[in-house]
Amino acid sequence: MSPTTAARYVGQSVKRLEDPRLVTGHGRYVDDVVLAGMLHVAFARSDLARGTITHLDTSAAAALDGVRAVFVASDLNPQVDSLRASMFPPHAPAPPPNLLADKDVRFVGDPYVMVVAESRYIAEDAIELLDVEFEPLEPVVDYETAADASALVHPELETNLPNQMQVPNPEQTEAFAGAAQVITETWYQHRQTNVPMETRGIVASWQPHAGVMEVWASTQSPHELQLMGARTLGIGEHKMVVHFGDVGGAFGQKVFLGREDRAVLVAAKLLGRPLKWIEDRRENLLAANHARIEQMTVSIAVDEDGKFLAANLDQLQDDGAYPLGGPAGLGAMSTTLFPGPYRMGPVSWQARTVHTNTCGRGAYRGPWQMESVAREQMIDRVASEIGIDPLELRRRNVLKPEDLPYQTSTGLSFETTISPDQTLDQAAEIIGYEDFRVEQAKARERGRYLGLGIALYIEPTSMGMGPLGTESAMLRVEVDGHINLFMGTGSHGQSLETTMAQLVADELGVCPEDVSLHQGHGSGYGFGTGGSRSAVIAGGAARAAASGMREKVIAIAAHLLEASAGDLEVTDGVISVKGTPSAQVTMAQVAATAYQNSDALPEGMEAGLEFTARFKTPPVTHSNACHICTCEVDPGTGKVTLLRYVVSEDCGNMINPMVVHGQVAGGVAQGIGGALYEHAVYDENGNPLASTFLDYLVPTAAEVPEIEHGNVVVPSDTPGGHKGTGEGGAIGAPPAVFNAVADALAPFGVYPNRQPLDPNAVLSLIASGAK
Amino acid sequence: MKPAAFEYHAPESVSDAVGLLAQYGDDAKPLAGGQSLVPMLSMRLTRFEHIVDLNQVQEMFGVSSTSSGNGANSANGINGAARIKADEVRIGAMTRQASVETNPTVAQKVPLLHLASPYIGHFQIRNRGTIGGSVAHADPASEYPAVMLALGGIAEVASPLGTRDIPAADFFQSTFTTALAGDDLLVALRFQPWAGPCSFAFAEIARRSGDFALAGAAVALGANEAGKINRAAVGMLGVGSTAVRASSVEAALSGLAVDEVDAAEVGRLAAQDMDPVGDVHASAEYRRSAGSTLVGRVLADALVQLTEELKDG
Amino acid sequence: MAEAVAISVKVNGRLQQGLVEPRLTLADFLREKALCTGVHLGCEHGVCGTCTILLDGQAVRSCLMFAVQANQAEVTTVEGLALNEDTLHPVQQAFSDCHGLQCGFCTPGFVISVAAFLEANPDPTDEEIRHGISGNLCRCTGYQGIVAATRQAAATMGGKSR
Repeated sequence: MSPTTAARYVGQSVKRLEDPRLVTGHGRYVDDVVLAGMLHVAFARSDLARGTITHLDTSAAAALDGVRAVFVASDLNPQVDSLRASMFPPHAPAPPPNLLADKDVRFVGDPYVMVVAESRYIAEDAIELLDVEFEPLEPVVDYETAADASALVHPELETNLPNQMQVPNPEQTEAFAGAAQVITETWYQHRQTNVPMETRGIVASWQPHAGVMEVWASTQSPHELQLMGARTLGIGEHKMVVHFGDVGGAFGQKVFLGREDRAVLVAAKLLGRPLKWIEDRRENLLAANHARIEQMTVSIAVDEDGKFLAANLDQLQDDGAYPLGGPAGLGAMSTTLFPGPYRMGPVSWQARTVHTNTCGRGAYRGPWQMESVAREQMIDRVASEIGIDPLELRRRNVLKPEDLPYQTSTGLSFETTISPDQTLDQAAEIIGYEDFRVEQAKARERGRYLGLGIALYIEPTSMGMGPLGTESAMLRVEVDGHINLFMGTGSHGQSLETTMAQLVADELGVCPEDVSLHQGHGSGYGFGTGGSRSAVIAGGAARAAASGMREKVIAIAAHLLEASAGDLEVTDGVISVKGTPSAQVTMAQVAATAYQNSDALPEGMEAGLEFTARFKTPPVTHSNACHICTCEVDPGTGKVTLLRYVVSEDCGNMINPMVVHGQVAGGVAQGIGGALYEHAVYDENGNPLASTFLDYLVPTAAEVPEIEHGNVVVPSDTPGGHKGTGEGGAIGAPPAVFNAVADALAPFGVYPNRQPLDPNAVLSLIASGAK
Repeated sequence: MKPAAFEYHAPESVSDAVGLLAQYGDDAKPLAGGQSLVPMLSMRLTRFEHIVDLNQVQEMFGVSSTSSGNGANSANGINGAARIKADEVRIGAMTRQASVETNPTVAQKVPLLHLASPYIGHFQIRNRGTIGGSVAHADPASEYPAVMLALGGIAEVASPLGTRDIPAADFFQSTFTTALAGDDLLVALRFQPWAGPCSFAFAEIARRSGDFALAGAAVALGANEAGKINRAAVGMLGVGSTAVRASSVEAALSGLAVDEVDAAEVGRLAAQDMDPVGDVHASAEYRRSAGSTLVGRVLADALVQLTEELKDG
Repeated sequence: MAEAVAISVKVNGRLQQGLVEPRLTLADFLREKALCTGVHLGCEHGVCGTCTILLDGQAVRSCLMFAVQANQAEVTTVEGLALNEDTLHPVQQAFSDCHGLQCGFCTPGFVISVAAFLEANPDPTDEEIRHGISGNLCRCTGYQGIVAATRQAAATMGGKSR
């Protein structure tokens, strides 16, 4: 850090540099890429959850005018040895590497034929000409019984239960034996999906003889695409060119290469023609990835004062048939994170993952957030059972500054820079907790049912294990003094073009508008954007690169001005002597000297203004937040209306508060969707019933209330004092909303334990209470 | 998600449209606003070799009305009033839902259509969607069929044999099925305005703003000068395989003094007239229960207005 | 194969002529023939609103029309809204000012819808705004910035801010 540069841009709600092109329709998303000779891909997908392909004749499809190729499993599958992404351990049991279903289909949406044609219209025509017969087999649909089912989703694995971990803790057993009360409930989360507004898509162009694969893709991780794409094709990463354009959202769905993406890469190489595959919305809802399908049975022991003594957890999650990216198995992460912002005492846990004949599980904003869902809903249940106000119960158990640093019995270490007690208090104050309780009581007397829900959590952000540990920034001041910044990120709504420019601008003494961020081809390895990691890790890299560059710029300027480096300051791209503003050179003069008049540089200094930095992040940087919302339930229709929604967030120093609040609000809306509206439901035969936007209900502006933000700022120990914040909204919202509805329903004597709390579910609950 | 190929026809008159439908039979489908048909074509859930686009048939657009003693007058563009009877409002089948929503004649003479229109999808849908398309599509969860049924509207239908009227009660047969034959074309809808003290109310429950209704109700009430209900029409949507009338509610209201109706209790009778079908959004049981509650609420709304009307009158 | 039909559509003030297959959606025509790639496809079944355009001044879903149906019509896409290279439409400016977008994919449809909504409702309440724009889906912003942008645009376009 340079003491001579004041923070002018970091911490400000700088307007986004991305916006001018995006608000005028001039973004460049993957479907906007058109190459000469490009052909279009469509996949034939299974209508059966499980079945054997008894007959497949593609000749009529292949003969259709405009069709260029029809590929089946045996054409493409042999090219791939594994579907595993680089972050997953190489030896965990994984589904077979079927790009296309071979001999049998394993979920509705399983692709079994790829058609390549002159237009997507013709490709879809050809699919209808496939002569195919299936023999239906009994599917495994219910994940609660999948482990014991005789049918196997992947016979190659010889089990539907590929992943099971058990960590008993004798101290927990002991604590339970001596506890005043042990309360147990099973909490269920239902099947949801990410729904980026832009579906997945890829354009792949093979250059024969050169041996180069050029790719444009909707991805949040261009380097993962480069690495896994190269591995899929058996070429070097230097021959895999990944262009990164605008990406229309992902929320975890576009970290890893899907089976379809890889099939397109392989087919493009086989055909030697550029191919485009743009997933349509039905494919996206059926076959991209599902998430959140899980349950956790929680037992908590408490003493007479409501102090948590110990917990026992049993987590079961559904990975579907082909989890996106590899064996997800995040159940163990949910149980490990369960203690959250409380002194929970000793915890025993079990986590199991099963396969079913359904769409594969994938990462979705806070993929482990079942820990907060189960814990926060459980705390409200405990509060109700022992007759203590839920806010008070949290206050009695929450981690306070004197508890920090804190180590949970599950092995988590929390820094001294978390502030869960403060966010709890701030959110309670903003919502007007006591006043609401008075209003609620009065409303109940008038037959109106109001409720309030709290969710308090610690979010593990910027995790740094294995491939996630670093990001790089290559900074180049060009000859005219403007700055090109190359990073391994994959911004898809997170505003990195602005926030990284803010960091560089302050560090280097220029304006954000003078900095252009470039991602994808030409940047150095990074895991990309996801996991709430960009502010800390990418930000750390950008800051370090700018800092290194600043030193060199100052050194050259000092030489040109015949001044001492310590006397110089940089403002708006002008380097001047403090107190003598007339003695100055511009960034452009420094750059021109560095590149085009290198003889004028200080003796021994390397020519040019290029600096690369790689930031290695700590194992994890924790942020924390508290959500409190209020609702009204209409007992006649079961409809839930959210009244107010407050988020108190501590993500350390904010680079751009506007962007932070945008991230929080977006996550909250997704969580509201999950708790009340969205359900990727299957029938008992494994048929998906929500394969269009008429049935999969993403909330609109009319369902999401105004979100009120509070901020507690405790800087982290990372450079800049930032903490991640991308996923938190979607972690806190489901339990906050759930708890609010449960609170509103309390007078009926009912205790929900499942989402979504749609009107049908709410009315059923009320009816069950009235009986 | 791209539609299969079809041949496109854009007739400019009802007779040409009917001729095309007759010529191609089951292979042809009339295209009105396309807000339901086009998605089904794109998803290849349905297909036709011939699409007969009605958007160039100017005589199918617009609202006209007559009052007793007056001849037909065109309130909005086209006067397709050949069959219009005294004191009727005639709405061309291709009249956009947005036009129905904002048309002053409709608001004044058939207020239920005016009240129901904003519940249809979103404004971008209503800018294109048509009243005839909604009625001919006969989705049990859509708004206009319930209103048409409640008010006893008339479907004016053209075929190669000429034009005939089908009363609403005979028009809706089952889900997505009407009395229209393959070469029939729904040309217009006609409604008789209510006279005397009367009130109208409409509401529905949907999962989200603009979604198809889980249940909905259209209520029209009329009273004599003594304040007794002498006319009650209640249409419901989302609670059967077609739009349905709440005959039990209508019967219970008849002759009651406006100020002595227990709307919630009378509304509960509506359950008897429902035969709901459950789906991914709500069970049959939910639709029956919430639907009855809703009928009571809409009825209460209409009663409040009728009381006002009687006071003012 | 069905016979191609000659059409002529005025797109953002410029005449776009071509032979199209009847089944070609207006959205695909605008993207592929008129090169208005700001018309995005988010669902192709009329729910998400990303493909919203103005057809003879009225906001409609371009995925729910065939290109042949737009023959002789005037179409405005998001590319046709800005006054010039340096001046955004008030709605576009408001989206940028109020952080009404993150990934930007839904934005063109929203911008068109909000412009049309404010044309008909120059002075909306927040409640009217929320319902008025509920025909467009956004997955990034939680709609906070979009509602604020609609409010701001209403004010700059001359409606009273309530």
